[in-house]
Order: sequence, then C-alpha cells, then structure tokens
Amino acid sequence: MKDLLLYLLPIVILFIGGFTLMLVDAFQKEEGGLAVPTAMLHFAAAAAALALWPYAGNAADLARAQVAFNGWLAFDRTTLFLDITIALGGGLATLLAGSYLNEHKLERGEYYTLITFASAGCMMLAGATDLIMVFIGLETLSLGVYALTGFRRTSARSQEGALKYFLLGSFAAALLLYGSALLYGMTGHTDLAGIRDALSRAVEMPQIAGQDGAAQFVAVQQTVRDRVTILAMVLIVAGLAFKVGAVPFHMWTPDAYEGAPTPATAYMAVTVKAAAFGAMLRVLIGVFGDTTGSASLAGGWPGLLVWLAVLSMLVGNLVALAQSNVKRMLAYSSIAHGGYILAAFVVAPRAEPMPGGGGSIGQGAAAAVLFYLLAYTVSNVGAFGALILAGRRGKEAVSYEDLAGLGKRHPAVALALSFFVLSLAGMPPTVGFFAKYNVIRSAVEAGYSWLALAVVINSAMGVYYYLRVMVKMYMHDPQPGAVRAEPMDSPATSLTLIAAAFMVLVLGMMPQRFYGYALEAVKLAAAPVAAAPADAPAAAAAEAGNPR
Amino acid sequence: MTIQISHYLILSAVLFSIGAAGFLVRRNSLVALMCIELMLNAVNLTLIAFNRWMPANAAGAVPVHGHVFAFFVIAVAAAEAALGLAIVLSLYRIRKVVRTDDANLMKE
Repeated sequence: MKDLLLYLLPIVILFIGGFTLMLVDAFQKEEGGLAVPTAMLHFAAAAAALALWPYAGNAADLARAQVAFNGWLAFDRTTLFLDITIALGGGLATLLAGSYLNEHKLERGEYYTLITFASAGCMMLAGATDLIMVFIGLETLSLGVYALTGFRRTSARSQEGALKYFLLGSFAAALLLYGSALLYGMTGHTDLAGIRDALSRAVEMPQIAGQDGAAQFVAVQQTVRDRVTILAMVLIVAGLAFKVGAVPFHMWTPDAYEGAPTPATAYMAVTVKAAAFGAMLRVLIGVFGDTTGSASLAGGWPGLLVWLAVLSMLVGNLVALAQSNVKRMLAYSSIAHGGYILAAFVVAPRAEPMPGGGGSIGQGAAAAVLFYLLAYTVSNVGAFGALILAGRRGKEAVSYEDLAGLGKRHPAVALALSFFVLSLAGMPPTVGFFAKYNVIRSAVEAGYSWLALAVVINSAMGVYYYLRVMVKMYMHDPQPGAVRAEPMDSPATSLTLIAAAFMVLVLGMMPQRFYGYALEAVKLAAAPVAAAPADAPAAAAAEAGNPR
Repeated sequence: MTIQISHYLILSAVLFSIGAAGFLVRRNSLVALMCIELMLNAVNLTLIAFNRWMPANAAGAVPVHGHVFAFFVIAVAAAEAALGLAIVLSLYRIRKVVRTDDANLMKE
C-alpha cells in the first residue's frame, strides 16, 4: 500500500485534491478563489513526478512498483514525462480559467473539481498497461472534459459543442471497447504484456473442459485469430484517433473547441492529446510493435497511421486556412499538429540504430512524440491564454477582424499572441521549431523521405495562417464601427503567459537537453515485464489467488 | 443444437453493428444515446461470452477478467448516460431541439 501511494503520487495528489476541492466548494459561502489552489495541485503533481524521475531509473524501485501496481499501471519515465506534461498543461490552463471565468461571470467551483479529476484521468490513461485501465482512464478524462465543454450553460454554442463531443467521444469509446473485448477473447488477457505474449506464441489449443464440465473450449484457428486481432487493432486505433482528433475522426474538434470556454479549450487541446498519444504509444508499440509473433499482420499499423498522419496534416491545414474565427483556426491547426505527431508514430517501431547513435530510430521517434507533446503543451496554452487576455466581457477576441490594430492599441498583448503563434508555426528560436525538426529527422532516418517532405510542406502552409494573425494585429486597422477586442485587466493571466513564454524559450534554447530526457524516458520503458505466465507451475499457486 | 460461443459472438456483433449503424444514420440525439448503450451492451455480451469460454488455468483458477471488465463497462456507461442526458437537456432548454441536425450554429 505504501509503495502504491508512493509510485502513484502524482495521481494520488490530484484525486485527494479533487475530493478536497469538492468539499471546500460545497461549504464555502462565496464562489471563486479555487483557481490558484487547483493550479497548485497540478504543479504539486508535476513536482511529484519530477521527484520520482530518479526512482524510475532504479531497478529495485521498478520491481517494487511492478509488484505494487500488479500490471495495471506502468511506473516508468515515459509515464512520468507525460505526467509532467499533463500537469503543466493542466496547471497553466487552470490559472487562465481563474481570471477568464471571473471576467465572464462563469465562476462556479465545479470547474476546478472537474479539471482536477480529468487530469487524474489523463495520467491514468497515460500510464495504463491494462485495457481495463485504458478504458477507465479514458472515461475519467472524457466525462470531465465533456462537462467542461458545456460549461457555459446559457450558451447554445457551448451546449452544441458538448453534445457533439459527447456523442462522438462515446462512440469512439465503444469502438475501443469492442476492440479490447475481441483482444481479450483471442488471448485471455487484458494486460498489455500478457496480450503481447499470447499473440507472439502460436495458437495452442488444449481441449480443456469449460466451467460447467462440457467440452466447450474449441480451438481458435490461427487464421481466425490473426483476422480478429487485426480487426481489434483497427478498432482500438480508431477509438484513440478520435480522442486525438485525427482525420477522418476529427468532426467534433472544431465545434467542441469553439463552443467550450477558452481556458477549457486550452486544457483539452493539450492534456487529452498528451494522454491519448501516451496510450497509443503503449498499446501500439507494446502490443502490436512486435512483428515476429503469429499475429504479425496487426504489426501493419504503421501503414494505417501514415494515412491518418498525412490526412490530418492536409485537412487540418487546408481548412484552417479558410477560417475567419481564430479559435476555430487554432482547433484545425491542432488537428494538423496531431498529424505531425502521428508522422513520428509511423516510424516508432523501427529497431535499426540511429545514425548518430544513442538508441534505435524507433526510440528516437517515440522521444520526438514526447518532446512534441511537451512543446505543443506550452505553446498552445500560451496561444489560447493570449487570446483570453486579448478580450474582455462583451469585447472578446474571436475573429481575425476583432484583432485588427491590436498591435498599435495594446502592444504587449499583441506581442504575447505573436510569440506563441510563432512557436506553433515552428519559428527557430522557439521550441516549436525543434519539435518539428525531431519529427522530420526521425522520418528521414527511417527512410520515409516523402513523409518528411509532407511535414515540411504542411508546416509552410501553417506559417501562412499563423502569420495572418500577426498581419491583422500589426498591419491592419479596425474598420470604423466594428467591434474591437479590448484586453482584459488581469495580472494573473499575464503572469501565466510569462511562465508559458519562459518555458517555450527554455525548451527552445536547450532542445537537445530536453530531447535527451525524452529519449531516456522512452528507452527505460522499452521492456515491459510480462505478468506471471499462465502455464508456469511455480506461478500456479499465486495464480489461484490472482488469476492474471 | 447446442448453443455455442459463436452464437453469442454473432449476436453481439449484430447488436454492435445495429448500434453503430443507428448512431450514424439516425439524427435524434436521444436515439444516438440509445445506440451507444446498445454498442456498450454488445461489448459486455462479448466479454462475458469469451470469459465463460476461457479454460481454467493449470491451478484450477477460473478467469474473471472479462466479468470484471463488464462490470466496469456497466458502471461507466451509467455515468456516461447521466452526463449525456444532462447535455441533451441543457441544449433543449436553450434551443428546444433534440435533433443533431438542428445543432448547427457553428457550421462554416
């Protein structure tokens, strides 16, 4: 129990904090004042994950965590890296929410409880090594985020966004579940290591009596198992692709992003992506990454993902070009960013060593995914934060026209928005550049030159609509009589933006160092230990109590 | 003819397909909610059927993961339905519509 609490500290902090927030909210007389404690909880979770980092390199601790978690969750540096990303994104988005909700008369305490539990769900999903845990983590985060999307209860747009997100998200969860159920049926395991082991062995079908004595257990033929495994893989990929908003599963993204209150948009854009990509990494590499097994056909998932990646980049960028609403533009651009991350996923199973040394190409690509998620988190929270800062109640910054002339009227706000938008576009001194660079390098190393070229062309397309924001702010004057965005007066938001900008710069100044951390995180996660094999006699005694 | 696992699996695949097709075709958000429930129940049936079919291991322990998974699905489906109905109701209060076609304020 002690081990469990120690190695699970980031999640434990968030859950206990969430319950405390709920109680405080129920008993306090006035609404408000919960933003800073909630953000502190997130930062405490990030600090806990950081403190656990050395433990995750230590074999004795890893073994103890393995026993404590019993195959449900992973304790490794990949999880901790994602935990830090999620907690940072969640904490910054919460600080933004504090002033936004106040300004827009939305201040209700449940926002903070929802966000805290959703972050805990994100961390569960990011660390899940069992399909049951994947499902519970996914739903914990999804239910919180659906409610956050519909948080503006008097706004029809907010409710519409929530409805679309909810319906498509639940549909995706059902697909993922059906895939999980089929995998369970084919292997008898719900834990990822057990599934991988079972799939890598040839089918062996003992005619053992079923539970009621009749000889029910009929052999599954190898070909049947291969086909069902492929179907399960496709269903699971589709379910997770919905969550990250990859084309063609992106229909909910623009509406949910536009309808949600802006800090909730910032939150779900970054944390849900980090968690879902983490789960994808673990499921696809952990279960289907091994192409030597009997069900090796399911190892063909990179061929599926490459289309998702290219389509996400293309559709995301092309539609973003046509938007007149900045928030919607950021939504479509987030689809494109998902595409860039998926491009790195495609090469993640490659085992050849990197030309420069330091691991395999696949590990380099997986590290590129983690690094991209961190870079995207700080840049995107900043961009949405600057958009929040640029508008006050009744004079929100929504369309490009609202931003016209902002550079002259309010240079500081315009500078902040430009800075984060440049990082999203991938301009060199910022971290966005290095995130894209790592993806492109991984693709080139693996021989996917055309994919690297697609990333480059799409990034160039992205620069156009990101720069349009700056052109509007600095080179256009507002039309006479048009509604203009007036920045809100909020030191807290400004401080949050400064913190985010600091991280964007630090990550951009020392990309090799942080990429090195990501690489370390991926390497140590390379070999998940399987749970006790089902047929080992020594394990049989333990199995009786715990049939895993 | 004895009922075998394949019957359960075909039934659950059919249920799942009906749910998925209904979700994609019908435009009423309440029907969409019901279709999702149908899909989740098809998943439960699959899990339970597979679990029943699994052999006991060498020590005689009966596998339970499918059953446990089904319980979690049931619990989460209930929470999901509650939230979904709340969102539908909340949209209805503002716009008096339940059809997903009418939720079209944000078309570009």
